[in-house]
Amino acid sequence: MKTGRLIELLARGAGPRRQDHTRRLALTLACGLGLALALITVGPGVREDFMEARMPVMWKTLFSAAAAAAMLPLAARLMRPGRPLAWRIGAGLAFVGIAALATVIALIGEAPEQRMQAWLGGGFPWCVVLVPLLAAPTAALLVWLARSCAPTRLTLTGAAIGALSGGVGAMAYSMYCPIDSIAFVTTWYVISIALCAAFGALAGARLLRW
Amino acid sequence: MADETQLRGLLLKGLAGEESAHRAFLTEAAALLRGFFRNRLRGAPEDAEDLVQETLVALHTKRDTYDPAYPLTAWMYAIARYRLIDHLRRLRRRGVHNSIDDLDIGDADPEYEASDARRDVAALLERLPEKQRAAIRLVKIEEKSVREAADATGYSESDIKISIHRGMKTLMRLMGEAGAP
Repeated sequence: MKTGRLIELLARGAGPRRQDHTRRLALTLACGLGLALALITVGPGVREDFMEARMPVMWKTLFSAAAAAAMLPLAARLMRPGRPLAWRIGAGLAFVGIAALATVIALIGEAPEQRMQAWLGGGFPWCVVLVPLLAAPTAALLVWLARSCAPTRLTLTGAAIGALSGGVGAMAYSMYCPIDSIAFVTTWYVISIALCAAFGALAGARLLRW
Repeated sequence: MADETQLRGLLLKGLAGEESAHRAFLTEAAALLRGFFRNRLRGAPEDAEDLVQETLVALHTKRDTYDPAYPLTAWMYAIARYRLIDHLRRLRRRGVHNSIDDLDIGDADPEYEASDARRDVAALLERLPEKQRAAIRLVKIEEKSVREAADATGYSESDIKISIHRGMKTLMRLMGEAGAP
């Protein structure tokens, strides 16, 4: 087929197109968060002392939401091509830096003999496993959204989608997470989210091709 | 050939629903893309034309991803570069090792009339699912309105529109698969 003929075929009956990317992204994230919360409820369940622990639950949720918010501009930007990234990678890295600083300050505030306990939580940090699992629905929805857009830097887009989903997954995880030490959260939540980003980077080139 | 401002104006009018502007955009884009791909695939004009067509389908089906706050050409060439890299990867995966460095060098002339693409888009259309093919044939080739196509097939109007949209996406995927010789 000649190219002129193809153009004719494409153009004929081409109606108006809405550009509602922001709304679709917001809807996707809301659905992802809803699914993650449903998973937490039917799975391990919210923590038993939920009512008494409202304050720590709230700040952990806010911390996770801040992580998601730090990754959101990069992920949103990468979905549509031809736009400079500017400060958006830096926003994600800055969040990691601030979390590391918060960890150090929180640990200085602890009594020396309790530092290890406050940092490692005493036991296996389950968030490393559960946050990626809770992030999976959001990640799947975001991949689906991204494929309807036109990402051209697939590995980076995958990493950004992974990290954003990780933030959303961590928001749901904080309903369950029984450990309230600041240093634990600023370390292990960030590691869990970084793990999601790594998965995303590895899967990105395969899943996001269009 | 059209410059940034003209192209941008055409695409934005097309997004607003002006068919003739969208056609003009695709025509101008094709000329620029032909130059772009011929420069990079010297000595393989059919491959270059395949990529022009692939990129046109991508520009068309993904036209809503253009962000008017940024240059149109940045968007267009980002997609063109993506299609080119995808093409080169496909070649490598199929074990075609002729590196582009060895291809004979000739100046790409963007004004040069389109050579026939290597693959036949008409044949690819035949591979679409029945419903999508019927919708595209009636509306895009036989120039029927969506209403008439809906009456002829018994599907609803939105069904026809969705089938055309999905069909174009499937077509883009088929083009990718059928891309390398």
